[in-house]
Amino acid sequence: MKFSEEEIQNWKCETCGEGLVMRKVEFSYMKGSFHAELPACPKCGLVLITEELAMGKMAEAEKALEDK
Amino acid sequence: MNEAVAKPWSTESLCPVCLKRISAERVIDGQEVWLVKSCPEHGETRTVLWRGEPDLPGWQRPKIPSQPPVCFTEPQFGCPYDCGLCSNHGQHSCSALFEITSRCNMNCPVCFADSGSSAESDPSLDTIETWLKSVRRACGDHIVIQLSGGEPTVREDLPDIIRMVRAEGFGFVQVNTNGLRLSGDPAYAGQLQEAGLTSVFLQFDGTTDEVYRRLRGRTLLDEKVQAIENCMQSRLGVVLVPTLVPGLNQDDIGNILRFGMERAPGVRGVHFQPVSYFGRYPSAPDNTQRLTLPEIIRAIEQQTEELMKVEDFAPPGCEHSHCSFHGNFVVLDNGKVMPLSSQNATCCNKPSPAAEGAMKSTRFLTHQWAAPEIEMPPASKAGKEKCCDCSEPPSLDDFLNRIKTHTFAVSGMAFQDVWNVDLERTRNCCIHVVAPDGRLVPFCLYNLTSADGHPLYRGKSHADIAP
Repeated sequence: MKFSEEEIQNWKCETCGEGLVMRKVEFSYMKGSFHAELPACPKCGLVLITEELAMGKMAEAEKALEDK
Repeated sequence: MNEAVAKPWSTESLCPVCLKRISAERVIDGQEVWLVKSCPEHGETRTVLWRGEPDLPGWQRPKIPSQPPVCFTEPQFGCPYDCGLCSNHGQHSCSALFEITSRCNMNCPVCFADSGSSAESDPSLDTIETWLKSVRRACGDHIVIQLSGGEPTVREDLPDIIRMVRAEGFGFVQVNTNGLRLSGDPAYAGQLQEAGLTSVFLQFDGTTDEVYRRLRGRTLLDEKVQAIENCMQSRLGVVLVPTLVPGLNQDDIGNILRFGMERAPGVRGVHFQPVSYFGRYPSAPDNTQRLTLPEIIRAIEQQTEELMKVEDFAPPGCEHSHCSFHGNFVVLDNGKVMPLSSQNATCCNKPSPAAEGAMKSTRFLTHQWAAPEIEMPPASKAGKEKCCDCSEPPSLDDFLNRIKTHTFAVSGMAFQDVWNVDLERTRNCCIHVVAPDGRLVPFCLYNLTSADGHPLYRGKSHADIAP
């Protein structure tokens, strides 16, 4: 999951007005937890999850964790 | 009968002496559940079914019965005397087991098939082909085909039989073996793989020679390890199958799991089978000689130091809830495992069609028990050596790569003997033995023998089985 500097710079946190920066984020689903480098607001910590990520790798991981 | 709407604690069973059908009750007594039944002629028997948590009343995955699409027999005498399967059966087949020989190159004190070296002649290739066609017609070609015995590798034409299974269109074929031939002949695993074998169901009772000496009458650990290595080199999926006997190897459960995970992804999982008393066994059992499913689940948690937890295991979607447990995991490269299924998935307890469970289970097993389709990375040291960042969860990318190879299935199945047989369970069974005349018979009923050793099904024609 790679974001270019240019892509990140296009995003700002609507609440804080800060430009997003890459940050290590941990997330959990059922009994699984993972980490990923994702764009986040340096002030409030809000994380950007793109549609591509949500419908792609995260959906794939969810499906695996719900196996059988 | 629907598990969800049936009177929950009444069922039917058989008299251990005369094999007549009799009513039975599942009776809760403190932390234990007992099957209590009484034959008017031969008296009462009480057999332990379940000890402790997770408790039996909560261990449910209700199903709406699904009649087999093709029935080779019709109800005449009532369950369990009409198997073929008949139209009263409640589940489709997910696995068909072919006994391709009754010969064996061992002579274990415990053997469900009572196999030996001086047994009757093997079924011919033509006979096996007829069975295959009949099974395909009844069940489709998506199911698990298991070649069993006896010891199937004593047949020199085993590769031809495997080719025949594949030519008939079945996608998954597994050999049920003690591993002796696979260990002694390094080229043999490759020959079976080239013939179309997918998976090896390897008798693997423990991680010490003492276990094999006591259970199988000789040391075998080196042979087992070599057989596994040969299978892995030939890209055959290996499932370790321990027969668990109280006081003999129940303390080795954690070691068996660690042994398997260290060899993932070549070893695809462990399938525990607590000992049941049919075929050949030293003496009629008392209840201290029985190990129930929840005891195994708790032992897994204790002996893996909670690497796997009780809550990671769930009742089955295919067979009757009381017959098995399963938990699926990913073996991570940091020494941890991540559970992939849990009881949460079944929390609403809404009944679903049994056939859906059979299809799902077949799809899962044919994928999980085969070698991974992509190149296998080196084995990890799960549960043994932990790396410095073991508290760190994996990255999403690492997890998604790992899930393609290092899934590890842990399951246990409680076979039923004449003392604990529950006809509600056998009526909803999905693992069927192909009888010599092509009928399909639930595994436990096919192997069931009375207290004095008389079979219910094995070696009998349909007409001889009437009560």
